[in-house]
Amino acid sequence: MSRHPTPPGQSLTALFLLHVGSMDARLIGLSVERHWKQSVRLASDLESARVVLVDCDRPGVDSAFEQLLAHPRTGVVCYAFHPRDHATRFPNRVILGKPLNLEALPGILASAAAEGARTIAVPPLRRPPAPATPPAVAAEAAAEPPPTLGHGVQTDDERDLCGIMEDLPPTPGQPLPDKLYFNPDDYLIGHLHRAVEQAASTGRSQLIAGLPRLIGVSSRPVPVCVTEFRANQLRPLSMTQLPQTAARIVGASSLAHITIHETTFATEDCLWNVAAWAARGRLPEGVDPYRPVRLRAWPNFTQVFMSPHALRIAALWVRTWASPVDIAARLGIPQRYVFSVYASARFAGLLERDAPATVTPPASRPAPPAATPPEPTAPPQRPSILSRILRKLLNAV
Amino acid sequence: MRSERARHNKIIFSGTVGAGKSTAIAALSDIPPVSTEAVATDDTARVKKTTTVAMDYGVLNLPGGEKVMLYGTPGQERFSFMWDILSEGGIGLVLLINNANPDPLADLQGYLQAFRDFISGTAVAIGVTHMDRAEKPGLDAYRKKLAELGHQPPPAIFRVDARSRDDVAMLVKALLYTLNPGLIDA
Repeated sequence: MSRHPTPPGQSLTALFLLHVGSMDARLIGLSVERHWKQSVRLASDLESARVVLVDCDRPGVDSAFEQLLAHPRTGVVCYAFHPRDHATRFPNRVILGKPLNLEALPGILASAAAEGARTIAVPPLRRPPAPATPPAVAAEAAAEPPPTLGHGVQTDDERDLCGIMEDLPPTPGQPLPDKLYFNPDDYLIGHLHRAVEQAASTGRSQLIAGLPRLIGVSSRPVPVCVTEFRANQLRPLSMTQLPQTAARIVGASSLAHITIHETTFATEDCLWNVAAWAARGRLPEGVDPYRPVRLRAWPNFTQVFMSPHALRIAALWVRTWASPVDIAARLGIPQRYVFSVYASARFAGLLERDAPATVTPPASRPAPPAATPPEPTAPPQRPSILSRILRKLLNAV
Repeated sequence: MRSERARHNKIIFSGTVGAGKSTAIAALSDIPPVSTEAVATDDTARVKKTTTVAMDYGVLNLPGGEKVMLYGTPGQERFSFMWDILSEGGIGLVLLINNANPDPLADLQGYLQAFRDFISGTAVAIGVTHMDRAEKPGLDAYRKKLAELGHQPPPAIFRVDARSRDDVAMLVKALLYTLNPGLIDA
């Protein structure tokens, strides 16, 4: 599996973290150390940098840009929770959405550095408008926006959280692409899942140490995850590939070690979310996307991350044995949304994988029609009452 | 199963005393809910001062002037004669279980039994409330109970805060998708 977007041999992009928070700095540092050795190095100061990273949501961002006036040939990559809100404030800047897509970031940084190097030293306001968009951003912008019916994440987030992977063929037979899979052991979910299993088998609390903050799991009296990470910190951490040696699991007599602003999650909900954030529309390594499985229960959708169409996927998948590819075809939705649910359900323990012998082998089954409802559909000119109620709820919530 | 056309546009909210039926309807309704609260005089008084004795009523206004009625049943079993009356012709059941009750799994079983005929022709989505006050039984215990009772495919069951419009709407959406996973909002 390729994890280096920049081809080996290409010069390293000197990145200076001009205006970023400590958590982001830590995550980017880990990425440089583990995955970007061939593409990015961290510069110690602005003078030696070819590109800088700026968090537009942090106070003092104007001062950061003032520093850049003396370095017009340094590339700038900004990021923010709501990039569009900052587009008028900082025109002609590349502004990415949070959380950062760390797989695409090295390429974007390299493009910004190259673009900056071509800039003639003139005041920023006199720059020609609309500089060349980095290739990765352009590719994302060109992608067809996925529907938001699943009312889980909004369109801006969907690409970050579910990826942009194309559908697989409806029937097996062709080699599966490497990018279909992720290795859980490279992410927080692998460590967390192991800790939960150890807590369940030993009856003893477990701590995941070695990360910027502690995560504890306990199976009694009810399975819970307790952490000092806030939810908005847990998501980017879950999306980042961690060095194998970064985290270690240790037994603990209690979770009393975690005392600083701790947050408690039901273990199942925490596993679901962390897996979804790691998966980003991919499957765990070794999963056959054509093999029928079934959800043994609905996930706790009032608490967990919902990928697009997650409710529809769950409603269908609790009642039928079907492969992820099959579910996507039946609902007429991109497979990556189903893969996201699969990954979460597997780590949350909500997946049944031993289909009874009576289930039709997937290879012999013709591609099912899209969006097959179990009830007669309403005339196309008038949506059913159920659809009208649903539309009301989607608009209201 | 009845055809969709034959059903009235109403969704039934039922469940145990103090589970949050009236609150859930108030959270979702587009009008101030109509309630038939009376001062509680029996065991219910230990749980709350007033209780629903006939029904709660709320409305979801759909585009074009159409309405979906939200009916809440009284929680006390001595008013159970109202349950059948209110649920007649409903689209489906939202069942709320108070996890702080002494035996919420028995409550679940009792209500599923009481609404068995209605559920068999429609669908049910279950919300477990007050899990912040009583963390056990967890959702998995409810799922096991549902499996024991032969509810296959398993109905949706979520941890909910009845005061939260998002949570209540999530239950209703799950109910709609249970009735028809192929639903689209157009």
